[in-house]
Amino acid sequence: MHEFAICQNIVAAAEVEYARVSPPPRRLLRLRVVAGGLHQIVPEYLTQAYVVLTSDSPLAGSALELAILPVKAQCRRCAWTGQIELPIFQCGACDSFEVDVIQGKELRLESLEVDTP
Amino acid sequence: MSTREIRIYQDLMGQNEVWARKTRDVIAQKRLFMINLIGAPGSGKTTLVENMVSHLAGTLRFAVLEGDVATTRDAERLDALNVRVSQLLSGGACHLEAKLVHAALIDFALDELDLIIVENVGNMVCPAEFDIGEHAKIAVLSVTEGEDKPLKYPLLFREAKAVVITKLDLLPHLTFDLQACRDNIRKVNAGIPVFEVAAKRNEGIDAWIKWLATQRRAVAESATVT
Repeated sequence: MHEFAICQNIVAAAEVEYARVSPPPRRLLRLRVVAGGLHQIVPEYLTQAYVVLTSDSPLAGSALELAILPVKAQCRRCAWTGQIELPIFQCGACDSFEVDVIQGKELRLESLEVDTP
Repeated sequence: MSTREIRIYQDLMGQNEVWARKTRDVIAQKRLFMINLIGAPGSGKTTLVENMVSHLAGTLRFAVLEGDVATTRDAERLDALNVRVSQLLSGGACHLEAKLVHAALIDFALDELDLIIVENVGNMVCPAEFDIGEHAKIAVLSVTEGEDKPLKYPLLFREAKAVVITKLDLLPHLTFDLQACRDNIRKVNAGIPVFEVAAKRNEGIDAWIKWLATQRRAVAESATVT
């Protein structure tokens, strides 16, 4: 249930960004978040946490939209890059386990969709 | 009604990262090596630290930050061994956040230390998500758990700079497949060191302490260069 802890960070960041929008919007409609696959977020749990954590905030009633980026790696031996299937961190070409993650650790607020006056 | 989309691209761990960075600055300035022990409840983290005490004497000067949801029991165990220790209570949270760790860290007389050991709240998921400014997350796994844990908690074992497998003295009584466990660690994070210890029998600790001393020396030397 690490979704709740992650969602606390999402809500805190979104509240700051929402307060900065000028002119002040009528309300927040949608929040877009991008998360790398390494975080292993269960979207339903994140959405539930979002509803609870925003219930008494200016963000109440908005929708959380989550896009999950697949985990990608680069091989240190043969320079292959491509998607890997968790939990095995292995090169898709030469089968080496000596790979670096090049995508999958992201966790960022992408955009706010607001209802403007 | 009209809608408008505002692009942001903001790192969501930003607030935690602010405090993690402060800690990184402090430990770089003070030439400290800082580890973050992460493992399941009952994996033997506190017992490992207790056992490290006598081995660290004369090698590295250290202090411990004990993370728990509630109680000061772990800090009391270490205090009984005259260890410099602070108890961090997460108040229900399943992990330590960087701000709390930073506040406790700067209360130590850091000029008198070489190593900071943080024992995170017993949990293999959330602590792996939260950077506390440490040099190295260390995954702690006991042989009374499953050899497939590295595959079940890939973020932790991927983020870890080393793994300590504990309670090796219990192996004869278990079906735990040690080689399969080593193989699973390699599948998630090839090349990281794996230390196999039996703290209650004082076995395997030396290699682990030696690794810590080497890491601390590297930190001190890189600080000297810059």
